[in-house]
Amino acid sequence: MFKFILKRIGIAIPTLLILIIFSFTLMHSAPGGPFTSERKLPEQVLANIEAKYGLDQPYYKQLTNYVVGIVTKGDFGPSFRYKDRSVNDVIAQGFPVTLKYGIWSFIVAVSVGVSLGIVAAINHNSVFDYLAVGFTIGAQVLPNFVMAPILVIIFTLWLGWLPGGGWNGGQWQYLIMPVIALSTSYMASIARIMRSSMLEVLNSNFIRTAKAKGLSNRQIIFKHALKPALLPVISYLGPTFVLMITGSVVIDIYFSTGGIGREFVNAALNRDYSVIMGITILMGILTITFNMVVDILYAWIDPKIRY
Amino acid sequence: MKSITKILTAVLIGSTFLVAPVLAAKVPAGTNLTADQTFTYRVGDEHSSVDPQIVEDVSGSELVRDLFEGLLNQDALGNLIPGVAESWEASNGNQTYTFKLRKDAKWSNGDAVTANDFVYAWQRLADPETASAYAWYMEIMSLENAKAIIAGEKEPSELGVSAPDDYTLVVNLTAPLPYFAAMTTHASTFPSPQKVIEEFGNEWTRPENIVSNGAYVLTEHVPNERSVRERNTMYWNDAETVINKVTALVINEESTALTRYLAGELDRTEIPAGEYPRLKKEYPDQAISFPRLCSYYYSFNVSDSGPEAFKDERVRQALSYALDRNVVTEQVLKGGQFPAFTFTPGTTANFDAPDVAFGQITQAERDAKAKELMVEAGYGADNPLKFELLYNTNEDHKKVATVAAQMWKQKLGIEATLVNQEWKVFLEVRGKQDFDLARGGWCGDYNEASTFLDLMTTPSGYNDGKYSNAELDKLMTDAKTADDPSANYTRVEEIMAEEMPIIPVYHYTGVYMMSEGIIGSWPVKNVEQNWYSRDLYKVE
Repeated sequence: MFKFILKRIGIAIPTLLILIIFSFTLMHSAPGGPFTSERKLPEQVLANIEAKYGLDQPYYKQLTNYVVGIVTKGDFGPSFRYKDRSVNDVIAQGFPVTLKYGIWSFIVAVSVGVSLGIVAAINHNSVFDYLAVGFTIGAQVLPNFVMAPILVIIFTLWLGWLPGGGWNGGQWQYLIMPVIALSTSYMASIARIMRSSMLEVLNSNFIRTAKAKGLSNRQIIFKHALKPALLPVISYLGPTFVLMITGSVVIDIYFSTGGIGREFVNAALNRDYSVIMGITILMGILTITFNMVVDILYAWIDPKIRY
Repeated sequence: MKSITKILTAVLIGSTFLVAPVLAAKVPAGTNLTADQTFTYRVGDEHSSVDPQIVEDVSGSELVRDLFEGLLNQDALGNLIPGVAESWEASNGNQTYTFKLRKDAKWSNGDAVTANDFVYAWQRLADPETASAYAWYMEIMSLENAKAIIAGEKEPSELGVSAPDDYTLVVNLTAPLPYFAAMTTHASTFPSPQKVIEEFGNEWTRPENIVSNGAYVLTEHVPNERSVRERNTMYWNDAETVINKVTALVINEESTALTRYLAGELDRTEIPAGEYPRLKKEYPDQAISFPRLCSYYYSFNVSDSGPEAFKDERVRQALSYALDRNVVTEQVLKGGQFPAFTFTPGTTANFDAPDVAFGQITQAERDAKAKELMVEAGYGADNPLKFELLYNTNEDHKKVATVAAQMWKQKLGIEATLVNQEWKVFLEVRGKQDFDLARGGWCGDYNEASTFLDLMTTPSGYNDGKYSNAELDKLMTDAKTADDPSANYTRVEEIMAEEMPIIPVYHYTGVYMMSEGIIGSWPVKNVEQNWYSRDLYKVE
């Protein structure tokens, strides 16, 4: 196992490097630059600004300087758009916000989704099963950019229970709607995967054997069926978790949460090169890490898998 | 991004050296102020900075105008009034300006605001080290040596600004500028605290470090969420400031912001396109629309890379005539916008809008004329005109482009294909004349017609369609030195109505929801919308 982790880390480093080179090239080839604006800057002024940010140097040099800065100093550079903040500041400010509502959404999505899936599978073809299936299909097709404004209209405008947006350090009142809007469709997917995989497991031979042995339903489900039924859910959860904690543009836009999702899109639109790179690398690291975590979990749950 | 430059601000004012009475919020007698003097408003995006020499966007400048105070301010009508400078005087044929500063102006840490703070700030603006996007402002202010300093050929200390004593600021110019004083209302000329900047570097603008000399101090800043400014008790006119706390909330979506406004979380927000009539009916005391110094237009690419058809004046005229502006303003945007037949908005100071012929006839007559012109130019059912209409990705631009293309199709059988591009790509493509017909929008940098009409001159970097007319160029050049340039501007508009290098579509309005408490003190008549929170107040 230890060897496996080492090997994965060994692969991760070149992967990240390729990611950096690829994104850096792609970004620089996009038309327009960080200082393109409707009011064109006089040449000399533009030259001064480009010199300050090192944009006057040849492409390969910018790239190597960038990588060297990260490796030696952990410095992702200054933001081109927000003059008093570095990329590290931007991430340090936005990522905890995203992490907070992302983790809460994950917890809600997994706990509700898994429970709903299990209950629906156990009560296969009952009214509850149909209701659960109906609910999950509805929740899956309702996009969060539709749901977010509806939630605001109901809870803020009509009922007046919750603030219509903002973050305020992540107090619970500000957390509820973002979490509902972000978690619902994931929860529905988890419930559906859980339900079908549970049904499959419940129909397998070893469960039949367990039943024949006279085990109680509870014992069958929690001791024998749950673990194998969770496998497909877990492979879904790895990338989902990364998606949830690296931010949702929709949540940030509709609830003005100030998370990193909106920051990422803004950076791309503003051609804020260093911020784009910083967030891309962060997402790359998280994706690689959680894929590895999923693989380890797999080995732990499924005795057939060994590394 | 809209620029924040104001170069002239009514040329008239520059020659007035009288000291007007200064009042912050002019609360009329008998006004019932509420106990809650807070003002919360929506901004669409996070501001770029609150550093006066660095800021480059509108919402950032709004903050800077509250946090810092320059030599002069604008009143509710856009007139020039004293700020840190109590009086000023031009000499040496408008090439030397002497400002006398008030002695009671203080920084928020209690230090006196002196002329040296301005000298420092202006040198800092020009210094290539600062790399300010507004460094060129020193150049158009014609300060001695500004150009050479920006180019790195001279030291910032050689800039034509000096402080013979703590309360006198002397500025030396390379050209006579009668309107120089008005240029000092621009945020980039505001003073900055040298000690604090040297101590904290780039981080000096953070709430825990910042020291400012305006009516407010920055007390909280959560990037992409909110910034809060509160009364600066050290401000020399704090006694007459009414609003205690101003909060700017970053809300990207206009519709979300409107919902939050209706839920009582905001005092001011923009009204999304098309919603004004409904809101005006439901909330007559809160929905408001007032003229802005901005124009919306389409540029023909008449350069070599443009379509052959657009080199024909008749085709350009036909397209302009057939576009029913009333449909755009009354049925698409519905926010009180004004149909445009000239590039310069009619509300611009000292601008005598010509009664251009095509604006005087009915739409039916224009349509008939357009059809004739197209036939004359050789286009018809068997030879339809085809081109691409380029705009930057945005719902409202799409709506306008769609109705325009429809009108051209129905009336003239023209096949216009809509093409949209993301903002920075759009700017690049338009700047390289890689288009047929492209959307344009322009807000005046200052309240004078040349801020618009200079765009149409041959050397202008903003003349994206590469239109060129020698008479027009001469008129604009002459206007710079004319005693009264308004006749030149009128003539330029007449030429444009004839040759139609652009299709003026409409003049913008500011369309807002404003809470009943604040709406009465809002400076709706300041067409540049330079507002200061210290002039606002909230009534019962």
